Amino acid sequence: MNLMAEILIQVVIAFLAGSLLLGLHRKIMARVQRRPGPPIIQYLLHSLKFFFKETSIPKTVSKPFYIGIVFILALIWIVGVIVGPVAHDSLLILFGVYAVYKIVEHNSGSSSGSPYGKLSCVRAVLSAATELPLFASIVFVYLVTGSMNIGEIIAYQSVHGSLVYTIPFAALMFFMLIITKSPYSPFAITKDKALISGFETEHFGLLRGFMHFSESIAWYVMLWVFLTIFFGPLNAVGYLIGMIVITFITGFINATTPILSPNHSVMTQITIGAFCFFATILMIFI
Amino acid sequence: MVSQKIISIILLVLSTIAILACLIINFSEWIVYTVAIFAIPTWILSLGLLTMAKPKPEDAEERIKEPFTGY
Repeated sequence: MNLMAEILIQVVIAFLAGSLLLGLHRKIMARVQRRPGPPIIQYLLHSLKFFFKETSIPKTVSKPFYIGIVFILALIWIVGVIVGPVAHDSLLILFGVYAVYKIVEHNSGSSSGSPYGKLSCVRAVLSAATELPLFASIVFVYLVTGSMNIGEIIAYQSVHGSLVYTIPFAALMFFMLIITKSPYSPFAITKDKALISGFETEHFGLLRGFMHFSESIAWYVMLWVFLTIFFGPLNAVGYLIGMIVITFITGFINATTPILSPNHSVMTQITIGAFCFFATILMIFI
Repeated sequence: MVSQKIISIILLVLSTIAILACLIINFSEWIVYTVAIFAIPTWILSLGLLTMAKPKPEDAEERIKEPFTGY
């Protein structure tokens, strides 16, 4: 198949699947809290609807930055689709994508001129602590498989079995990142409702729709990477079931857990990360 | 607003041509990746800037005056 056609198909799949999974996430949270909740398709409809909503650019924003940062958000997650589902390339690039995502959170808030956005921007710096367990998780995958290449990691697992059985605590560290990035997460200090919508507060209308597009792709890519590097070679049905199960679990956790204060959030993540780090070292070397 | 519309049209046309060229011609991988990474977000953003609803002229000033604090 033509490479560009493959990329376009994967981007559309990532957007549609990511939107529906985020819709499912909201539905699960609502049902756990004994509310009917919106239809599963609502997140997708919102994303599309925002493209046609009335949009104006506030006077207080830094205009090129304000629009450019939304463009960068889409750009990095399209890189994520290319590196992951399309090319099966290096995990380090995906780590880079995640690092830039933190920069986007930070600069989206600071470009807006809104006090809520700026406070969220400060919290984005704190929440960068989640990158340490992610990096440790990737390093352990490298130590066991001898490769950072996703294609080679899949090949390793097809011979030796899924990595989740070899390094379960490294998988747990990665899963913590997924919880952190899920909506209404206890660790989502940048989008705390006390800050309205955090760094997204001033991005409304078209730009909010564009952010929804990127975040749907982000959710799909993160779940895809997690399933691929820890659950071995999977077919389309395996990915579908895995993504739905993870969305169920994160939805349940987020529905029953209040958002933590910034310092508690960071300390909890670091503590869980440190425990998983030493547990994985013990499992590998003893 | 007029300059924004013109820039959006130019970017939409350029990104459409770049994506179509990669669909028709088999370029080397790094060219296709570069085009995909830059042209897909450009296409969506420029299309969005053209299709989004604009405020009425009498409301335009009011919309941009205060920082937006919720939706």
